[in-house]
Amino acid sequence: MAKTLTIAPVSRLEGHAKVTINLDDAGNVADTFVNIVELRGFEKFCQGRPVEEMPRIVTSICGVCPWSHHLASAKAADGVFGVTPTPTGRKLRELCNSVAYTEEHILHFFFLAGADFVLGPGADYKTRNVIGVAAAVPEIGKKVVHNRHLGARILNIVSGKSIHPVTAVPGGFSKPLTDHERDMALKMASEILEFAKFSIAWAKESVFPKYLDAVKTVGVIKTGYMGTVRPDGTMDLYDGKIRLMKPDGSFVDFDDTKYADYISEKVLPWSYLKFPYAKSWNEGFDMDLDHPKGVYRTNTLARLNVCDKLSTPMAQKEFEAFRQAFGRPCHLTLLYHWARLVELLYNAEYAVQLLKDPEITGRETRVAVKPRAGRGVGHVEAPRGTLIHDYETDDKGLVTNANLIVGTTHNNAPINMAVKQAAKLLIKGGKYDEALLNTVEMAIRAYDPCFSCATHNLDGRLAVRIDIHRPDGAVETMAN
Amino acid sequence: MTERSPIGLAVTSVHRDPAEERPEPEDFLDKEVLVIGCGNVMIGDDGLGPAFIKHLEARGGAPAHVGLLDAGTGVRTVLFGMVLAEKRPKRIVIVDAVDMGRAPGEVFEIDLAEVPPLKADDFSMHQLPTSNLLRELRDQCGVEVRVVAVQVAWLPDELRGGLSDSVAASLERARELVERLY
Repeated sequence: MAKTLTIAPVSRLEGHAKVTINLDDAGNVADTFVNIVELRGFEKFCQGRPVEEMPRIVTSICGVCPWSHHLASAKAADGVFGVTPTPTGRKLRELCNSVAYTEEHILHFFFLAGADFVLGPGADYKTRNVIGVAAAVPEIGKKVVHNRHLGARILNIVSGKSIHPVTAVPGGFSKPLTDHERDMALKMASEILEFAKFSIAWAKESVFPKYLDAVKTVGVIKTGYMGTVRPDGTMDLYDGKIRLMKPDGSFVDFDDTKYADYISEKVLPWSYLKFPYAKSWNEGFDMDLDHPKGVYRTNTLARLNVCDKLSTPMAQKEFEAFRQAFGRPCHLTLLYHWARLVELLYNAEYAVQLLKDPEITGRETRVAVKPRAGRGVGHVEAPRGTLIHDYETDDKGLVTNANLIVGTTHNNAPINMAVKQAAKLLIKGGKYDEALLNTVEMAIRAYDPCFSCATHNLDGRLAVRIDIHRPDGAVETMAN
Repeated sequence: MTERSPIGLAVTSVHRDPAEERPEPEDFLDKEVLVIGCGNVMIGDDGLGPAFIKHLEARGGAPAHVGLLDAGTGVRTVLFGMVLAEKRPKRIVIVDAVDMGRAPGEVFEIDLAEVPPLKADDFSMHQLPTSNLLRELRDQCGVEVRVVAVQVAWLPDELRGGLSDSVAASLERARELVERLY
């Protein structure tokens, strides 16, 4: 008899998700669904609010990547007011972005995904977590905690608050950095840089070689990619053109205000989360594993695929080695982790670079703004992918319309595809065990997904679907 | 909500002496007791925790050995670092809204074992599915963990801020209970 396997919740993800795998009579995978079960919604919440309050409000949405929302929102508000932040204001924003990135990437690699790699997917479920990692590699565990703490301390020094930041304001940054504060932060950032160098060297020597077979098979799908680049093709996580690359490696760059000309969102009945796709490819949307249509990916691997180079020397060297080894575009899903470490190094280097820049302690951190009717689109590369905030205001500067596309949403289709591919590969003849199921989870975790703020629908539907295939061919659909 | 308060929009710089030696902001891990208000201020009574911290601050704050932290939706970051940190408070007091079928606005202390599964997930932020970070803090790290809960009355389907009257009225009772745990 046909059978439905359910893995819920997918552990070590930010937010809830539920994976449903339908097996056919032969015990092979018939279909899979990554179901989003958490209800959130804030676009509507934004309407009627003063746009300058938005950068503060959006950080309360979710504590997972507050800085990305904070900065994308501040940039959208810049656009509404028609202002360009001062050079110092921009650099302070970029500094916070880079430091926040180091915290997130360290957390994800070592403790969220790290449990799979350090302890192995077959390790006891009860120990395959952060405590297990810390016990297996205690010295590294201490360094992880220490360096994440340093990141939080830098953000406290630079912005006064690391949890729900308030200092990026329309027109710039509200808090200048003193020489003394810069000196304290630079010392800490230099320490994080040393840890970033260690991390990638350690992973390349002790972690990745053991999993190269899995890397070449698990979750591999051929899709397009999206990221942000400067005019010369250099990767940029704070600002630039959005580059949309087809699976064959050809690409187009566009201004973020034009995003609706290039991407559209598909709504499917079994998920709260919309499915963005590349509208400009004119092929529609299809998650067929062999012939996907319109599907692109964001996040670390995507950013390395679309860019031509990195701006910091050590990360550039790692980037060159990565590209030489895996080509462009690289479709190997588990290499998101490797790309994450290249980005960790980049951000650590960039934070040090910014703190050594004399302009970082400039006193003109913001320009004045005046409320007006307008539209502003702000985007940054959040750790989990391209994050777009799009606001419209009336003549009092009150928000009349807000649209957000968050990083995990871009990866909704590829996450579903990667899980299906992994499940088909690893579950045959009805045989499976916990290690196999965890490997399916690994295909999701590679994207570092955060579903907490990715779900926007407010119509009351719950996004769970379980299909039970009967031997006679009838399908019973259960939804809650 | 539509009242404009454009104060600050015309500001272009804040005059700080670049040579000023301002100490690093206080580290909450240095405190002997840490009171952590958790919740989302956009989901009605779920914003109890942050509102509670503001309530305490408006009434003179806390003694020097006690830290007050509005962790909002970022409690993951706080607890996660604390579990493996070399220094940490001796006691933490979590203040959060729960739905355990009690009278709306009722203030009560709960044992970790009683934490509803959904809230256990919230505390651990899904990283430790078979336990949670609070239990790890208590059992592995020797931190005394107390949980002060307030029964919710209003959790809107759509995002809306503000506490219900019964939960807002509980803030002072919650303060009396929490201050006994200093």
